[in-house]
Amino acid sequence: MNLPRSNLLLAWALGLAACAGAAPLRAASTVAGRVALPKPLAAPVMNQRYGIVASGGVLSPYPPVAVVYLEGAFPPDGPRPEGRMAQQDFNFVPMLLPIRVGTRVSFPNLDPVYHNIFSFSPAKRFDLGRYRSDERPIPSVLFDQPGLVTLRCDIHEHMRGLILVLDTPYFVLSGPDGRYRLAGLPSGHYRLKAWIDSRTTRTREVDLDGRGSIRMDFP
Amino acid sequence: MKPGAASQPAGVASFRVRLVLAMMLLVSVVATAGLLFAQHNVAATVKQDFERAFRAEVAALDAGREIRHALLAERARALARRPRIHAALEDDALDLLYPSARDELSDVMAPGAGAAREGGGAALRATFYRFLDARGRVLPPPDEKEVGALDPAVEARLSLARLPDRPQTGYLARAGGGSEDEVDEVIAMPIISSETGQTIAALVLGFRTPDLTLAPGASGILRGVWLDGRLHLPALPPAERAALARDVAVAAGARAEGGGSLSVRVLGAPYLLFYKRLNPDSSFPPALGLSLYPLAASLARQRQLLWQFAAAGALLWLVALGTSNVLSLRLARPVERLALDSAADRSERARAEAALATTHQELLRAARFSADASHQLKTPVTVLRAGLESLLAEPGLGAAAREELSALVHQTYRLTGVIDDLLLLSRLDAGRLRLDLRALDLVPLIAAGLDDLGALPEGAGLEVAAELPAALPVLGERNALALIIQNLFENAHKYNRPGGRIRVAAHAGNGWAVLTVGNTGRAIPPDAQAAVFERFHRGAVGEDVPGHGLGLNLARELARLQGGDLTLERSAGDWTEFVVRCRLAEPAAAPVGAPA
Repeated sequence: MNLPRSNLLLAWALGLAACAGAAPLRAASTVAGRVALPKPLAAPVMNQRYGIVASGGVLSPYPPVAVVYLEGAFPPDGPRPEGRMAQQDFNFVPMLLPIRVGTRVSFPNLDPVYHNIFSFSPAKRFDLGRYRSDERPIPSVLFDQPGLVTLRCDIHEHMRGLILVLDTPYFVLSGPDGRYRLAGLPSGHYRLKAWIDSRTTRTREVDLDGRGSIRMDFP
Repeated sequence: MKPGAASQPAGVASFRVRLVLAMMLLVSVVATAGLLFAQHNVAATVKQDFERAFRAEVAALDAGREIRHALLAERARALARRPRIHAALEDDALDLLYPSARDELSDVMAPGAGAAREGGGAALRATFYRFLDARGRVLPPPDEKEVGALDPAVEARLSLARLPDRPQTGYLARAGGGSEDEVDEVIAMPIISSETGQTIAALVLGFRTPDLTLAPGASGILRGVWLDGRLHLPALPPAERAALARDVAVAAGARAEGGGSLSVRVLGAPYLLFYKRLNPDSSFPPALGLSLYPLAASLARQRQLLWQFAAAGALLWLVALGTSNVLSLRLARPVERLALDSAADRSERARAEAALATTHQELLRAARFSADASHQLKTPVTVLRAGLESLLAEPGLGAAAREELSALVHQTYRLTGVIDDLLLLSRLDAGRLRLDLRALDLVPLIAAGLDDLGALPEGAGLEVAAELPAALPVLGERNALALIIQNLFENAHKYNRPGGRIRVAAHAGNGWAVLTVGNTGRAIPPDAQAAVFERFHRGAVGEDVPGHGLGLNLARELARLQGGDLTLERSAGDWTEFVVRCRLAEPAAAPVGAPA
């Protein structure tokens, strides 16, 4: 049961690494702070799963976690490393995957049954059809438009996964406590955004001088 | 006994006729009542059986429809939960709604949209489907061919004022391929967002109503649907349908709860019509399911039963009529015999009474003659005796003459005794003798008799033994009793042999005072024993024994007159014994020894 959490942390670390790798060397600003995360909407006590929960038309990760990213015009860079979102234990793992536009995400099926991943979201419509864990090559989708993509399984109606396609190389998943740290940021005037759920994205203006560290909390 | 009614043949005949009529009336009433009751019961049972069979069939059809409806609803519910449809609605991809649904519903939709009405599973295939948006309006399909073509006006009727939160059933009449409208069953299944919990859309599925296409079964049940004031029942001509639709509208309108039955005439034949609201609590217009059950067979069966009962009743009545006739004749026979016997008895009795009267008259005459004769005889005997006594008193008579005269005088005394006895007997015979019965002691009377016996001339040679109680109170008359005792004692003396014995015993027993007088002497021959009590009978003992043959007769008459009797107890060998029985008196009424 700790696997999702470790995967989440892994994804966060990967994100950090990607950010660090993508940042120009001269840019050395760091923004850190804390996002005030909402209280869990629904706490499935009996069967504690980690995933996307829907309530009142809002999709939010459970346990709550935020994606903090820097919005602005950034020059295009090289090929993106492939993202990965598995289906494991009838859940998407990770449940929330922030990627940069142009990233290909593979969807390996780690369950012993069929899954059928599809999305009708405007940011990306696709339908992978049914496949099993031994499907090769592992079905993957290139996400070429920014936006929130809701993933569903046509066979298991409860399954939800979110892919946040961002038009920026600077993004990071917060910790479960809402703390984040975004390093290697270029200087300039930007908007720092914190995505909390499908309806809520907080924005703060930020001026970066290329060095030093700024603390920015999202109350 | 009613004279007049039964004594005459006409009365007997009328009795018989009345008996027959009464029995026939009774039999008719009982038979008619019983038959009516039985016919009523059987008819009710037959009707109930028919209705039960009909209701069972209707219930089976309804159950079939409900099962089918539940299947369709479950199918619609499963479709409404399909992730693609939810995704299209929730993820802002309405353009993908119908294309996704086409894939999802491909197994539900009849291939070629309505072409596969025939063939297996047609009843569970949808003829069209639509989605309603959040406001309940029909989301226009991109391609009508794939979702089942509908006339725009018909399609508009699928819209609802607001989205339902529960499945809704409706019925939709639309122009079909033939001359008849087709009625589709519509299920509107709400699509509830898993994200908001709200009804965000509805899936509307249309199915054929198979009831209408069903051929009438063996029982001839017709099924139809009443919708918007119109009746959809292809088996009936339009005019009949319109009339029936009005009846149903009136009947269903009168009842708040959608269900009931009414009797109708369809095409001139009686039918029982059951109607039931098909879609209670639905947002769609109300529709009624109709079942028409032909009553002709039931009525024919009841009529047939009635005739059978009438025939059986007539037969039974005839049999009962015959039986009652025979029975009453039999019953009347003893009565007739009784009546006839009674008539015969009457004449017999009248004859006997007449004879009795004659005999009585003759007896009276004879008794009177006897009495007169006795009286007439008594005087000359007295004169004769007086003459003989005066002659005897004459001096100078020779001893022989004197003895002769003395014997003559003695004979006059005997003559007087006979006359007295005859007089007494004649009075007895005429019923003139009235004895004044009273309680008295018999013992002194017996003792007096014994004294007299001892005084008799030849009495000295006899041995007299007496066993008497201290007292023996009897109910009788003193003189009569004395006469009886005297007669018996005289007899015992007269018919004894020289040196013989006389035994006198008296005792009370069994309500009687019994006096037994026995004597030795020649026995009375057995063939003569019955005659000893007859008048002027004398035992064959020889003429030397004095007596005139009236004593025993008189004694018995007197004993019987006092309520007792005198009998010859035995006479055999050397012993003859007479017994007198007298009624015992109450001891208190006659104290012992007291003179009566």
